[in-house]
Amino acid sequence: MESNELERFEAIMLPHMDAAYTLAHYLTRNDHDAEDVVQEAYLRALKYFDGFRGAAGGESRSWLLAIVRNTAHTWRHQHRADTLATEFDEELHSETVAHVHPETTLLREAARASLRHAIDGLPREFREVIVLRELEGLSYKEISDVVGVPVGTVMSRLSRARRRLQEALRSEQQER
Amino acid sequence: MTHPVLEAQLDAYLDGELTADDARELEAHLVQCPDCAGFRDERIALRAAIAAHVPALQASDALRQRVRAALRVAGGTRSRRRIAAPVVWRSLALAASLAVVAVGSWRLALQRAAGGALTDQVLASHVRSLMPGHLTDVVSSDQHTVKPWFNGKLDFSPPVYDFSGRGFPLVGGRLDYLNGRPVAALVYGRRQHLINVFLWPAVQGPAGGPPAATRQGYHLLHWTTREYAYWVVSDLGISELRDFAALLARGDSAAATPAR
Repeated sequence: MESNELERFEAIMLPHMDAAYTLAHYLTRNDHDAEDVVQEAYLRALKYFDGFRGAAGGESRSWLLAIVRNTAHTWRHQHRADTLATEFDEELHSETVAHVHPETTLLREAARASLRHAIDGLPREFREVIVLRELEGLSYKEISDVVGVPVGTVMSRLSRARRRLQEALRSEQQER
Repeated sequence: MTHPVLEAQLDAYLDGELTADDARELEAHLVQCPDCAGFRDERIALRAAIAAHVPALQASDALRQRVRAALRVAGGTRSRRRIAAPVVWRSLALAASLAVVAVGSWRLALQRAAGGALTDQVLASHVRSLMPGHLTDVVSSDQHTVKPWFNGKLDFSPPVYDFSGRGFPLVGGRLDYLNGRPVAALVYGRRQHLINVFLWPAVQGPAGGPPAATRQGYHLLHWTTREYAYWVVSDLGISELRDFAALLARGDSAAATPAR
């Protein structure tokens, strides 16, 4: 790799490190692992940079985040079992769990801890779309590129993920 | 709220992902349906809560430095790998010449016993010079750097020419020891071949060796001028080596007469 090629890579990809770290953090749920995943992902990205033909901006972010996601995937298999979340099943997790009463006073103080806890408790397939949409602000199309599923699936997963978050928060509030 | 399709649509609407037509249709529905309106409000609250309480994170400075360092290392590895082919090629060539050394020195020992001792010494010096780190003591293609380098190291000042204009660039020089005395060794290149020129002040008496010899694939040329005994050794083809020897002899006779 020419040194100016490395500089080009850095100029395009390093600005996305916060986004990469955020995704890695919520996927691994562990600061230390998240940092390792980010470093590994950047090295992979450098390796495959020849295959990246996009310009700067949104496209490079999706491209990098897809690598972060896959790296976190591999990492999880290599380093620890994902014991918190159950295996994802599109059908199972699609079921409406309960009919719940709309409640607008749902989230107040102390919501921070419970909300983060609720997100951590989501199956990874839900967690990643929530993080990509709510925290990273990706469009459905970009999420579809990162996750590798059709836009329609992104849409339904996001909706289900949000419902689960609301349910989780509601049950927590009822316990209080 | 039990309309999963509508639910997903409403999310898409709030995410700004619905087409304008679908959005208008949904808005019309929300006006008439309190359930859906309540659901919408709930989702808006959830979004606000996530925005307020679940932060996007920042990579630490330590992580940034770590990643950059790793990239530099990896980038460097890649650039080294790009030029790896010639490096491997060179080390293969080196391994080959080491093999020659191993076989060659054994044969040299036999031949020394049979005579032609100086020829063998010259060849051994040439082969040894090809081992890593032995080729040159002074590396320069500039004759005005190489020639003064010998000052104080030899009791003579060897003539040094650069024939790069003729395709035999000067590589450098070193001290060597032949025929019972310290000698000058000049190294020239010819494509991937190396040429050793050994010279020392000529002495009266019988010639030090045959004018030409070939040993283990190396050609050796030897001649004596009024001032110097010359040996030229290389794996270069014999005709090119003779061309080189002619250049050297001409340069010497043209330049060496007035001053040593």
